[in-house]
Amino acid sequence: MEIILKAIDLIFSFDRDLYEIIFLSLQVSILALFISVLIGLPLSAFLAVKDFFFRKGIKVFFNSMMALPPVFVGLFLYILFSKTGPLGFFEILYTPTIMILAQVIIILPIIVSITTDKLESFFFEYEELFFIANAKDYEKVLTILWDARFTLLTSVFAGLGRALSEVGAIIIVGGNIVHYTRVMTTTIALETSRGNLVLAMALGIILIILSLMLNSFALILKTTAVESKYE
Amino acid sequence: MNNYSQISIEKIFLSISNKFFFKNLNIKFLPTGISVIIGPNGSGKTLLLKVIAGIIKVDSGIVNIENNNKIRVGYSPQNIVFLRRNVYENLSYVLKTNGFKKKQIAPIIDSFLKDFKIYGKRNSSARNLSGGLAQYLSFIRAIILKPNLLILDEPCSNLDSKFKKKIEEYLVNEKKQKKIILVTHDIFQAKRLADEIILFNDGQIIEKNRTDKFLNSKQTLVRRFLQDNLL
Repeated sequence: MEIILKAIDLIFSFDRDLYEIIFLSLQVSILALFISVLIGLPLSAFLAVKDFFFRKGIKVFFNSMMALPPVFVGLFLYILFSKTGPLGFFEILYTPTIMILAQVIIILPIIVSITTDKLESFFFEYEELFFIANAKDYEKVLTILWDARFTLLTSVFAGLGRALSEVGAIIIVGGNIVHYTRVMTTTIALETSRGNLVLAMALGIILIILSLMLNSFALILKTTAVESKYE
Repeated sequence: MNNYSQISIEKIFLSISNKFFFKNLNIKFLPTGISVIIGPNGSGKTLLLKVIAGIIKVDSGIVNIENNNKIRVGYSPQNIVFLRRNVYENLSYVLKTNGFKKKQIAPIIDSFLKDFKIYGKRNSSARNLSGGLAQYLSFIRAIILKPNLLILDEPCSNLDSKFKKKIEEYLVNEKKQKKIILVTHDIFQAKRLADEIILFNDGQIIEKNRTDKFLNSKQTLVRRFLQDNLL
């Protein structure tokens, strides 16, 4: 209990180091989410709308990738981008850039798998309507993405939650460098091993608060949509 | 160019889940005017309309529509689906997907909504409309492109007398310039509107004739069907 109280005290002391870590975490995770959404949503909509030869194979691939261990993603990127690795010339190891890349690899399959299932049910419902309207494939993709926007928020926030809570991959590729690549989860891991439980707890509390805020926001948006009968 | 087209169905076979719905079905519709298809539930009327509209592909046989590439088809289904948008946007969607420019769309929709006396519902959520209004809007969506082939699946089953009258007036006024195929359970409506009536049962044509001849048919099934429905 004493640790929790001290942790709350630390949060309200607006400690510069603490908030630097929080902002870097948010920056990395939100950018990773943005990139994943940018790639994932159109891809999911395309998979939902268009039947082609490799469609099932792609869906199985992304479903399997959801179970990919983050430490393996970290190891894979480490080998790829280390100085002696094939992509070492990019020199992005131990930078926020590779942390974003790692998070994209981890959350993209989550976004693609969850949203494809949801968009498929929208497409199934609209299929006859698309035929009546003589809609082209790109129009179908845009239509289901727009009409499913409130439903898709849940998967987008699931992706953000996964990114914020990720530790295995980014500790390997980011290196947990203070004032540079140290984020909330890697700090929690480090400070716990050092015995500095107050800072670790403070960050844990903030992670829980962020998660609650995100889910409440998603719920409010969805409820508003249902009440306005656009859902 | 004719505004209408000869529609014929030749030697159609259709099975769904190993059950035959149409076995060697042949129909030649009147080139203009209103062809009304009547028959008991589950006789295949809706399926036939979907085959004519091109929504369902047959196993073998031909749906022959003269001037097929110049024909605009309007279809109002039995199970109505609207986009999760308002009335205006649902109508504008059909126009947009058919190449209408933004500037052209608003006057067209407003004129239809005013003519059909539901301008007050312009900004209401389409999915929030009552059953009758939804059916009415589905009819307007089917005619908004001014199709020369209009396929209607029980367009008036939930409508009050005011809206039903409006639709019937439209059909009577337009029938010289269009081919209209209408499914109804309302034998009185069939009598009022039809140039020809087709009695359909178990995927087969029992009787197809001009309205006056059909109503005086000596065919046992026709007599029984008319008696059951007129009593």
